[in-house]
Amino acid sequence: MSWTDNRAGRLISGLAPLLLPYLVLFCGGVMLTICQSFGVFTPLPHAGAALDAYAKILTDPAFFSSFGFSLGVAMASAFCAMAAGTFLAYQVWQLPAKLATAALIYKIPLILPHISVAFVVLVFWSPSGIVASIAHYLGIIQSMHAFPNILYSGWGLGMVLAYTLKGTPFAMLLVLALLVRFDVRQIQTAAMLGASGVRIFFFIVLPRMAPAMHTSFIILFLYGFGSFDIPFVLGESRPGMLSIHVYNLYFKHDLARRPEAMAILTMMFFFAVIFIIAYAKIVQRLENGVRKL
Amino acid sequence: MPRRCTPIPTLLIILLPFLLTFALPARAPGDTLLKTPFAQIRDQARDTQVRWYMFGGWAHVNTWVDTYVAAEMKKRHDIDLVRVPMDAGVFINKLLNEKAAGRKTGSIDLLWINGENFKNARESGLLFGPFAGRLPHVQKYVDPDSITHDFGFPVQGYEAPFGRAQFVFEYDTARIQAPPKTIPELKAWIMAHPGRFTYPQPPDFTGSAFVRHVFYAVTGGHEQYMAGWDPDLFAQKAPLLWDWLNDVAPFLWQKGQTYPKDSAFLDTLFSRGETAFSMTYHPPHAQNLILQGTYPETVKTFVLDDGSIFNTHFTAIPFNAPNKAGAMVLANFLISVDAQLSKYIPENWGDFPALDMDRLSAQDKNRFQAVDLGTATLKPDQLAAVAVPEIPAAYLEALEQGWKEHVLDR
Repeated sequence: MSWTDNRAGRLISGLAPLLLPYLVLFCGGVMLTICQSFGVFTPLPHAGAALDAYAKILTDPAFFSSFGFSLGVAMASAFCAMAAGTFLAYQVWQLPAKLATAALIYKIPLILPHISVAFVVLVFWSPSGIVASIAHYLGIIQSMHAFPNILYSGWGLGMVLAYTLKGTPFAMLLVLALLVRFDVRQIQTAAMLGASGVRIFFFIVLPRMAPAMHTSFIILFLYGFGSFDIPFVLGESRPGMLSIHVYNLYFKHDLARRPEAMAILTMMFFFAVIFIIAYAKIVQRLENGVRKL
Repeated sequence: MPRRCTPIPTLLIILLPFLLTFALPARAPGDTLLKTPFAQIRDQARDTQVRWYMFGGWAHVNTWVDTYVAAEMKKRHDIDLVRVPMDAGVFINKLLNEKAAGRKTGSIDLLWINGENFKNARESGLLFGPFAGRLPHVQKYVDPDSITHDFGFPVQGYEAPFGRAQFVFEYDTARIQAPPKTIPELKAWIMAHPGRFTYPQPPDFTGSAFVRHVFYAVTGGHEQYMAGWDPDLFAQKAPLLWDWLNDVAPFLWQKGQTYPKDSAFLDTLFSRGETAFSMTYHPPHAQNLILQGTYPETVKTFVLDDGSIFNTHFTAIPFNAPNKAGAMVLANFLISVDAQLSKYIPENWGDFPALDMDRLSAQDKNRFQAVDLGTATLKPDQLAAVAVPEIPAAYLEALEQGWKEHVLDR
């Protein structure tokens, strides 16, 4: 049997300090979540059938609008952060050495907690915020009420803005890490052969940066999809983000509704897993296609 | 070498922590404390520490607990009071986890609790008791009829009264001369002044209470709901409430597209002048904010003639409290005349006493009457004139769920 195999045994015992907390905390938590979603081990005895919570959620159109909205906000913000991060990373990489050191200030938002970025957006973009005040001062808008309703537009723009602000330096960090190992002579050769800047970017640099872009997109997307802090500050009532809905169900409603909260969490977890697998598959297929050309 | 799956050991390893968690039974506290005379409990509690978990969102309340209550507990009972700020929903979940993990000695001695959280805690066996009847000050000063139910859920001595709250609206006399007096007048006002009114989004405590006021007013009063949960009655009456709320929704702040997420958010909108009214479940709230300088001195409170919901808030002891004797001594002190009076003074907090004034000595009664509540707070008799009880918790849950379905996600 392979589990008695020496090498595997040594590997497992070597990894034990890492594996154990993972198994206890992570797997234990996921298991408990799944069980409670079926009404097992709930704080109050569960009266209905095992799939009641799922049936209730999946017949509620509001759940799907919340789900779609969370998906949209996460997609938009991950894409914006990834695109801006890639673009900026490329620019920073091209800077002369002296300026490149100064450009390290891009790392500042990395150390800001998400919640403070949310407040930054709130302070700047609310109808009585800093941007509105400046616009009013400059005579661009006549009154506070004329300021476009960015935070309560129904499109989650405030959240997208906050996630993008927070995610851009993260994407930059990952992309820059790849770029430093990139041989600049490839670009010089292409330029000598007459390739334009745009062409160089899309055909030489971009494929090199792609792995970091994919990674940052997946991480930022999944974070945006499930996180709580930014929606708590900037979210709107309708459509609400799923994380806020779960929080309300868990903390603010009757304990009898615990399976519903857990069922939503379970579905979010499996959605994330499926998303990662599907994304990896698609990327792989695309890259194979590129190589064949 | 072929990599072979080894499903059973792997599964066991994954399941192990999980099984361990539930293998340990949660044991009920077999305490003799409930039969011990209170004087002895007091001696037992001397020179101990009591950890009080309570909502920490009000700076003035925190200060009152940290200064007055802590100093008196030290002086009178040689007890060290530690205040731990935590939302009630959060400490209930903490206790649930401790119970599931079979933790017999927890870290919480006393809770500040009521309503749904009390119901949740009782139904899942998280509370120690019945202890309230053992407290001398409860026996002496509290009308037993006033603490039989908490949001329609039987108290049965598992929590001791601590204070009384009642719902009021807030307005600025500099901006509004005559606020609406009834729910129909409020509706007319909202429709005549688009964008100037809103309420916090249920399940926020305050927003949910506002919805219950409208529910009582548009369905013919609170009496019909007091007998307990009646699904047919709810199905028959609730549409009147949804209609009322949906009628005014387009005239609310942000056209009802979004709601403030809690009452603090609404207070901010009100103090910035975006909305004309705020609302609170705490009669002295406006006075507190005036004293803090957040509200101008022209702010006053009012109630609607259709009724204003009141409730009692309580303290309770968890099943696994490490210092139950100390917790009982603290709960007893909190319902003492001295503590209730100190709490009643607006500069300290302003929370209304849970005592029966007729049971106090004439001298103590005068001490309460001499308290200056400030210009913004309504007098106790003004509040008592319109006071109506809270709805049973099952209705509350149905209203919050229904609001999301019929008003928010309509």
